[in-house]
Amino acid sequence: MAKFNLFSEESNRSPLSRLWRKFKSNHPALVALWVFIALTLLAMTAPFIAPYGINQQHSDALLLPPSWHELGDVRFILGTDDLGRDVLSRLMNGATFTFGLSIIAALITTLVGVFLGTLAGISHGFRSSALNHLLDITLSIPSLLLAIIIIAILGPGLLNTVWAIIFALLPQYVHSIRNLVVDELNKDYISAFRLDGASQWQLLTRGVLPNIYEHIVVIFTMALSTAILDIAALGFLKLGAQPPTTEWGAILAENLGLIYLAPWTVGLPGVLLFIAVLSTNLVGDGLRQVLKERKAD
Amino acid sequence: MLFEYLLRRISLLVFMVFTLTVFTFSLNYLFPGDLLTNFSGQVNSNYSQAQILAQKYHINDNLLMQYGAFLVRIVSGDWAVSLSSGQSVFEHVIRLFPATLELCVYALGVAVLLGIPAGIVASAYHRRGPDIVINSLTLMGFSIPIFWLALLLIMVFCLSFGLFPMSGRIGLLYEIDPISNFILIDIAIQGFPYHGLAFFDALRHLALPTVVLAMYPTTVLVRFTRDSMLHVLEQNYIKTARAKGLNRRQLILHHALRNALLPVIKQIGLQFSTLITLAMVTEVIFSWPGIGRWLIDSIYQRDYPAIQGGLLAVSMFVISANMLAEFSHSLFDPLSRNQAYGKV
Repeated sequence: MAKFNLFSEESNRSPLSRLWRKFKSNHPALVALWVFIALTLLAMTAPFIAPYGINQQHSDALLLPPSWHELGDVRFILGTDDLGRDVLSRLMNGATFTFGLSIIAALITTLVGVFLGTLAGISHGFRSSALNHLLDITLSIPSLLLAIIIIAILGPGLLNTVWAIIFALLPQYVHSIRNLVVDELNKDYISAFRLDGASQWQLLTRGVLPNIYEHIVVIFTMALSTAILDIAALGFLKLGAQPPTTEWGAILAENLGLIYLAPWTVGLPGVLLFIAVLSTNLVGDGLRQVLKERKAD
Repeated sequence: MLFEYLLRRISLLVFMVFTLTVFTFSLNYLFPGDLLTNFSGQVNSNYSQAQILAQKYHINDNLLMQYGAFLVRIVSGDWAVSLSSGQSVFEHVIRLFPATLELCVYALGVAVLLGIPAGIVASAYHRRGPDIVINSLTLMGFSIPIFWLALLLIMVFCLSFGLFPMSGRIGLLYEIDPISNFILIDIAIQGFPYHGLAFFDALRHLALPTVVLAMYPTTVLVRFTRDSMLHVLEQNYIKTARAKGLNRRQLILHHALRNALLPVIKQIGLQFSTLITLAMVTEVIFSWPGIGRWLIDSIYQRDYPAIQGGLLAVSMFVISANMLAEFSHSLFDPLSRNQAYGKV
């Protein structure tokens, strides 16, 4: 309710630095950002820093529990699976597939989504209707079903899953971007800019996009968390990544039969998935909160 | 006014259904395998059978004729036969879809019953204890992979404590005739056989899948209700009411809630698309005999007619659910009717 500031303090900082200062004061979101960066780095460097190869078998160490357990071995910090493969190495490499591929999928969706969304935002009448309603159809097909159909056409595999996920994420993305663009185009400063003789292209690149790119980042985080969950779900259903690919969902599905004998092989990939999605959501939520606060003052 | 709005909505519906059927039809060509097999589900037919089928499906005519014949078959309920079972796809859908729908409706019910009050509480105590607790819980529920949650619940409640059964809809001891294919309704129609034990058993089978499936929509509804309430609570008419000296309970229950819940109603209907996606995973884990598990089995078995039938049924359902949600929303909220007329 603090609409009237008694002591008005002039803030001459740039919008971005104000954003960062506010974001820093939100500690959960800040921690999540660090986790997010760590996961991204892990996804890029996992094959080099993992202690063992993903398919390297140790026949002397089958189904070892994690090292803090009495029967554990310090060579295998998170234990081994039924083929004597180091769980830690596999999980680290899993970040490349689950997290890294999700980021790539979300980035491609962003590129295409921003393009189509802006197009839908600046067009009127029939063209706008057609763009929107064609996308509504894909929106009405549940995303997993859409993925199943694409996989039925292309065959199972990790890369096909990525296409399917991009396709399933796109409609919502285009809708959100379109709404942002339309909202922005209706504002007065854009009208003034237009009256100054700015072309459509200038309106978009100088007026609209600099003002919505922060919101695009928020939408990106939402798309990313959905992408992670979808890639893992498809891997779990054996439709996406095929073993011995170390995608987290696929690892989970592969070890499902060991749930009694070696619960850590099932539990740990799930924990990692949870952490990855949670950190993404926390960053997105924090960012959205900060954007709202910055707008308020 | 309302009539024009309706007209727009219905023409949109027709357009969407048309595109959907075109898409389903084109899948026959996109799927790998023999065209005639994709159309009919008949494998290894000899020459004369193939001739008859080609005639029936108008394979040798142009695409328009083929599509027309396809539409006629869809409407008359002749949805080809499944490659794996050899039975009519339409009958499969009729038998399996209610099971999925039942699960989704109960999950949505749980989500509404828990999510909306939680959202209201969170907004009433904005940035204080209850809000922080509810918010953190929501964020965690939002982030948990549903299949992992299901496995955890199975590990705890089925394997460790043995409280709930792990799979299926009802114990093998009980025999319930499928009438409506909704298990609880069927049991009720047949007068609660086995002294009500069957009903109780079905409820126990429902418990875990419902909880798992309800997790995601609950978190969505909590967040949505909370945001909507916070938005309304900042409006000027709320300030006026406060200035008049109304207490918080009156403020929230009589003034804020009515306007805040309007967008939530729409959101409930829009949940079905996500719900069915999640139901597919849940059904696989809990061996629930619904359309989701059937579709996933169909993809393992490359059962193309089944995938097409499932796609058509599920998407039609989602489209109509969305339409119904938007329509009821505009029925309750005259403002949205005024500005939109069904335009985008």
